Amino acid sequence: MDAQIFFENALNACVSGLVIGCIYGLMCVGLSLIFGIMRVVNFAQGDLLMLGAYAAFYLVVVWGTMSALGPAGPFVAALLAGPIVFCLGWLLHRFLLSRVSGLRTAGSLDEGHFGQLIVTLGVALILQNGGLILFGSTPRAVSTPLSSAAWLIETGPGDTTIFLNKARLIACLVALVVVVALWLLLERTRLGRALRAAADNPTAATYMGIDVDRAHRIAFALGSAVTAIAGGLVATYLSFTPFMGIDFVVIMYAGVVLGGMGSLLGAFWGGLTIGFVQQFSALALPPQLQNAAIFVVFLLIVVLRPQGLFGRSADRA
Amino acid sequence: MLDIAGLSVAYGGLRALSEVSLKVEAGQFVTVVGPNGAGKSTLFKAISGIVPAAAGSIRFDGEDLLARAADRRAHLGIAHVPEGRQVFKTLTVRENLEMGAYPETGRRQWVRTLERIHALFPILAERHEQLAGTLSGGEQQMLAIGRGLACAPRLLMLDEPSMGLAPAIADMIFERIAQIHREDGLTILLVEQRVAEALELSDRGYVLETGRMVLEGPYQTLLSDDRVRRSYLGIGDE
Ligand SMILES: Nc1ncnc2c1ncn2[C@@H]1O[C@H](COP(=O)(O)OP(=O)(O)OP(=O)(O)O)[C@@H](O)[C@H]1O
Ligand SMILES: [Mg+2]
Repeated sequence: MDAQIFFENALNACVSGLVIGCIYGLMCVGLSLIFGIMRVVNFAQGDLLMLGAYAAFYLVVVWGTMSALGPAGPFVAALLAGPIVFCLGWLLHRFLLSRVSGLRTAGSLDEGHFGQLIVTLGVALILQNGGLILFGSTPRAVSTPLSSAAWLIETGPGDTTIFLNKARLIACLVALVVVVALWLLLERTRLGRALRAAADNPTAATYMGIDVDRAHRIAFALGSAVTAIAGGLVATYLSFTPFMGIDFVVIMYAGVVLGGMGSLLGAFWGGLTIGFVQQFSALALPPQLQNAAIFVVFLLIVVLRPQGLFGRSADRA
Repeated sequence: MLDIAGLSVAYGGLRALSEVSLKVEAGQFVTVVGPNGAGKSTLFKAISGIVPAAAGSIRFDGEDLLARAADRRAHLGIAHVPEGRQVFKTLTVRENLEMGAYPETGRRQWVRTLERIHALFPILAERHEQLAGTLSGGEQQMLAIGRGLACAPRLLMLDEPSMGLAPAIADMIFERIAQIHREDGLTILLVEQRVAEALELSDRGYVLETGRMVLEGPYQTLLSDDRVRRSYLGIGDE
């Protein structure tokens, strides 16, 4: 009987790992664009995620703008958090990050990383404490009727039941759609190629007629927006405060490095892996140790495969 | 076509170019030679707008280049094949060429120019899905030249295309450059350390030393100049 229960728990951990992992994958993809591809260190990424969650919260709960959409409202709001934070990312880059990244620092000793570190750490503090003033410290949630509803799937030997939380499953599907859309944008469009070229070699990209500063700005804003959408999705199943970013920024950096710097899909798989590890460790470990489990797996992979799980090296060995 | 007058460039306080003048007429092949650190690459970077000019003027078809942002200059029909190739390592060969065709004119003539590039460098057609960073040095140089041609330029600037290549590959690259000039009538501005070969191809040559133009003229004049013969061709008088 114990084995039966363990099997059921493991199966459920597997499913929720997959579902949560997709949402983690989405936020990692956002950071991947900024850190993995453009090589800009952004410590405020978690706080952009937090803004996404609050944008969804204000759209749905405070202003009630989504009521006409019924249960789909919170997910549409999460998607709308994208363009809102895109604008913020654009401004952040225009007035702060463009001074410590891109062509201006190309070829300098640290490629501008020190400057980025300090600037984005400052932005993170401002967003967290600004958030505290504006939004308050009360934990919030964007609950939908779906948050507490689940599909039950009965399978396997005995009466094994898999619980599929409806809100999480829909959030997971939305995340997948956004990842695919972003991937198509980067791989299949002229703009996407220009972004990758500008990240790869800013000087040469200028010789090709690409406005590198603008390309970096678009990439930064896009990466902010994608992570904010993930924040809006997280909000549908988790309560949050203005300091939620700290937990997630760790997950995002781990995911990007795990998947392999510079690979957008790699970052997605990295996030997915972390979702799995987190859910499985919940079977055996107390909640305080779940993040520790993530780091053990993270260190193992980094030691065994320094280029990341899915990274490929573009340089000749 | 390209008219540079009194151009000075400084890095911080350090003068890299002082009052350099240079002219390239449409259809010409012009070569700039000079020792390491003379400022040849700096000259190209100033034309492309990557480094600012401290004084002087650069005109391209009568238009004031210095008034244009760096990224707009490629759209005027100037292709810069930089020193050290600088291909986009994480992009495929094909994507590198597509990036070359980023300006409007390049996009309009894409099918034709791609065919031409593949005819000049068949290896690029073979390797079109390969990441550029995994190409050999010679292949990367071919890609860099192909990428320059992809924007259907009116002026092609090549910065030491033979650098670090085996003699046979360097010869082949030179041959292709000559072919591009001969068959497509493309105007070319070349910087080279292989002075003899470079000057042989050119209509005019310039000698740049520590930031100053010390000599200029048709290639016969340069080849018969004692200083050039001694310093660059390794031919003594006795
Ligand atoms: N970014 C820079 N900052 C400071 N000094 C520079 C910079 N780039 C070039 N210089 C200096 O300007 C001078 C000219 O350099 P440049 O690269 O133009 O020479 P070059 O003629 O192309 O030499 P080579 O044949 O070795 O390529 C050199 O003294 C070099 O040290
Ligand atoms: Mg040089």
